[in-house]
Amino acid sequence: MTSVSVVVPVKNGGELLSEVLQAIVREQPDQLIVIDSGSSDGSAELAETIGTQVIRIEAAEFGHGRTRNAAAEAATGELVCFLTQDATPVAGWLAAYLAAFAADERIGAAFGPHLPRPGSSPTIARELDQFFGGFSRSGEVTVQAAADDAGWHPGFLSNVNAAYRRAVLLDLGFRDVEYAEDQAFAGDLFAAGWLKAFVPGAAVLHSHSYSQLGFIRRYFDEYRGLRQTVGHVEALAPLSATKEIGRLVAADERWLAQSGGSAAERIRLLPSSTAHHAGRHIGAVLGSRADRLPAILQRSLSLEARDGAGRDGREGAVVRGKPIAAQRDRELFYEMLDLDGESGVPLLNPTPGMSEAKRLHIAVVIPSFRTGSGGHDTIFRIFQKIEQLGHSCSIWLADPMLRMKGEWPAVIRRRIRDEFVELDAPVYKGFDDWFGADVVLATSWETVAPVLQLPNCRARAYFVQDYEPSFSPTSAESIWAEDSYRKGLFAICASPWLAELMSEHYGASASVFQLGVDSGVYYPRQVERQPKTIAFYGRAATPRRAVPLGMLALAELHRRQPDLRVVIYGDRHPVESTFPYEYLGVASQEQLATLYSEATVGLCLSVTNYSRAPQEMMACGLPCVDLAGFSAESVFGEDGPVALSEFSPKAIAGHMEQLLQDQELWNERSQAGIEFAARHSWGAAAVEVEAGLRAALREQEASGRQA
Amino acid sequence: MEAETDPVATDQLLAENQQLRASIAELEEQLSAQSARTNEIVAQTQERIYWLDRWHIDLDKLVRVPGVSQSRALLRAIRAPFRLLKKAARKLP
Repeated sequence: MTSVSVVVPVKNGGELLSEVLQAIVREQPDQLIVIDSGSSDGSAELAETIGTQVIRIEAAEFGHGRTRNAAAEAATGELVCFLTQDATPVAGWLAAYLAAFAADERIGAAFGPHLPRPGSSPTIARELDQFFGGFSRSGEVTVQAAADDAGWHPGFLSNVNAAYRRAVLLDLGFRDVEYAEDQAFAGDLFAAGWLKAFVPGAAVLHSHSYSQLGFIRRYFDEYRGLRQTVGHVEALAPLSATKEIGRLVAADERWLAQSGGSAAERIRLLPSSTAHHAGRHIGAVLGSRADRLPAILQRSLSLEARDGAGRDGREGAVVRGKPIAAQRDRELFYEMLDLDGESGVPLLNPTPGMSEAKRLHIAVVIPSFRTGSGGHDTIFRIFQKIEQLGHSCSIWLADPMLRMKGEWPAVIRRRIRDEFVELDAPVYKGFDDWFGADVVLATSWETVAPVLQLPNCRARAYFVQDYEPSFSPTSAESIWAEDSYRKGLFAICASPWLAELMSEHYGASASVFQLGVDSGVYYPRQVERQPKTIAFYGRAATPRRAVPLGMLALAELHRRQPDLRVVIYGDRHPVESTFPYEYLGVASQEQLATLYSEATVGLCLSVTNYSRAPQEMMACGLPCVDLAGFSAESVFGEDGPVALSEFSPKAIAGHMEQLLQDQELWNERSQAGIEFAARHSWGAAAVEVEAGLRAALREQEASGRQA
Repeated sequence: MEAETDPVATDQLLAENQQLRASIAELEEQLSAQSARTNEIVAQTQERIYWLDRWHIDLDKLVRVPGVSQSRALLRAIRAPFRLLKKAARKLP
C-alpha cells in the first residue's frame, strides 16, 4: 500500500482549520504535517491537539514554493498531498488520489476539483463548476502531458488540493516564487516527461467569500504571481474587457437559471456578478503590471500585504531577472529559422523551350517599404516595363518584421500605384495564396529565405541592386545578407561591378542591367544655370552615400571659393556644417529636376553600388562627381560622363573646382551626360532584366538536360 | 558489329516525341494563360475592394457574425414591397 503524507501550510487558520484537519484525519493518511508560519490565533496548538506533526517557522521565512519544498523533505510518504488551510477534503478524497497514482506510474502530480462551500455566491459556484468540469466531462481521471496540450487549461495545477510523487517533488522542487509555484511546477513536470492527472473524486470544499475589494486584492496577488512565473500580462483593452465581463455575467445568469434560481435571484445577481468580474479584471491588470507600481501601493493592493520585491539577498535565493512576457506572434527573421540548414524546396522539372516562352509569369517577392523607397521604385519601374513586354507579374510582400502589419493587400497595391508606378500586377501579403511561377524573384536578402521555400517554380532569381552585407556593421543581418548570395539563385545585378562580385566571390551565375532614368521628369528644364552652385545628395541616413566625406570636400571647396552656393538634399534632417548651405530636405522629383537644371556641379558619392542620382543629374545636363574605386567605373567608364575622384576630400573638391572653372570641360561632361542618360531608359533596363530572367530559366533547362 | 536500326520504328519514335513536345507546349501555354488571367482577376478585385481593405472589413467574417444574416434578411424583407411598388410604377403608362 502506498504511504501518504498530507501537508497543510497554516497561518491564522481560523474557524475552518479544525474542520479541515479533522476531515483529513478521517481520510487516514500515514502522516499529517502542519507548517505554521507564526499564527497568533492558536492554530498551531489546535493542530497539535488533533495529533498532527507541527513544524513552526517564522512568518518572514515563508515562501509558497520554499516552504512546501521543506515540507516534502520532512514528509515520509511516497505520495505528498498539499491542502490549504481552508480546503476541506470530501469523503474518498485520499482513496481517489491513491487509485489515480496506482493506475499510471507516469503520473507525477495530480489535482482535484474545488467544490463551492454552502452559501457561496452563484458567480463563484458557476466558475468552479465550469472550470473543474472542463477537465473531465465523463467524471473519469484525465491526464495531460504538455503545457501546450490542446485540452482544457493544460498548465493548471493548484496546491489548494494537489498530490505529488515525493520522489518527483524532491527531484524537481517548487520554484521560489511569490505565487503560482504550483503552475510553474506543472511546466517543469511536463518538461521532465511526467504526466499530470485530474482526479474528479479527490474533491475539496474550497471557495472564498471575500468582499469585492478583497477579490480585487486576491486577483492582484494571483496575477502578480502569474507574471513572475509564466510571464502572463493581462491585456489592457477596455472594449474587449467590457465584452468579456458581459459574457461572464451572462454565463452566471444562465448558470443560476439552470440551477433553478428564481427571476428575482437572477436579477439580484447581475450587479454583484458585474462587480466581481470587473474587479477581477482590475486586479489582473494591476497585478500583472505590479512591477511598475510603487512598493507602498503594491502592499496596499496585495491581500498578503507584500510588495513583491522578491527574496533577493537572502542566502540561497536564486537570482531572477525581470520577467518579460511574449510580445510577438512570430520571431523576427523567422524565415531564417524555417530555412536553417535547408537548401529550399526543389524546382519544377524544366520543360524544353521554357526560357523562350513568349509570356512568363514572374513572381516578385519584395520586402516592406516606405514612401519614397528608391530600391522599391527601381523594382516597380522595371516590372511595369516587363509587363509592357507581355509578361504577367505578381507582387508578394514578405514582411517578417510586420512593418506593414496594418495594411491589407488592396491598400498596398494602391500605394504602389499612387506612390511609385501604375503596375498591373496584383499584390499578395504573405504566401498563403501562392500558386507558383515561371521565375520567382528575390529582391533583398530578407526575401531569399521565403523564395527558397516557395514550390512550383521553374527558376529562382535574385534582383541584386546593391551589396547589402555592407549596409550594416558585422552582425547576424550582414552575415545572412552575405549568405543569401550563396543560395544558388541567378543574380540579376544592377551594375557590372555587382555582377562580378556575385560571380567571383560567391560563385553565382549573374547578368547585368543598368539603372534607368525617367526622361519624362529628368531633362534640362527652362531655368537659368546658376553660377557656382553645387547640388549634393547628402542622405546621411544612408551611410553608403559617404556624406561625411562629401561634407569635408564641400568645406574644403568653400574655403577655396567662399562665394560658393551649396544645396544639400535627400535627408529629413540638415547636417551640421562649417559653411552655409541651403537645405532642401527630401525633395520631390520635380524639385530635383529643377535643381539639377540650375546647379553647376552635382555631387553624389557611393561606396557600394552607384546611385540613380548621377544619371538623373546627367539627364538634366548637370555634370557630376562620384567616387572612383567602387562601382562607378563599371557603369560610367574611367573617363566617361561622370568625373570620378579618389577617396579624398581635397581630390573631390579639386574635381568640383575644375568643373566650376573650366567651361569647356563642363560643356563636354554635360553633353556626354545627356547622351549617356538618353541611352539608359527604364525600358532598356527592363529588356536587360528580362534577358536575366530568361538566362535563369535557360540555366535550369541546361541542368535538366545534364540530369 | 553495329546494331541495325529499324527506320520505321525510329520515325515512329520521332513522331511520338514531336507529338509529346507539342502537347507540352500547349499545356504550358494554357498554364501561362491561366496564371496571367489569375493575376488579372486578383488585380481587378483588389482595385474594387480597396475601401474594404482600407477599413479592414472582411465581408466573409462579417456575415458570419451572429445576427448579421438575419438583419440582412430583414432589410431585404422591408425593401421587397418598395421594390415591387417601384416595379409596378414603372409599368404604369
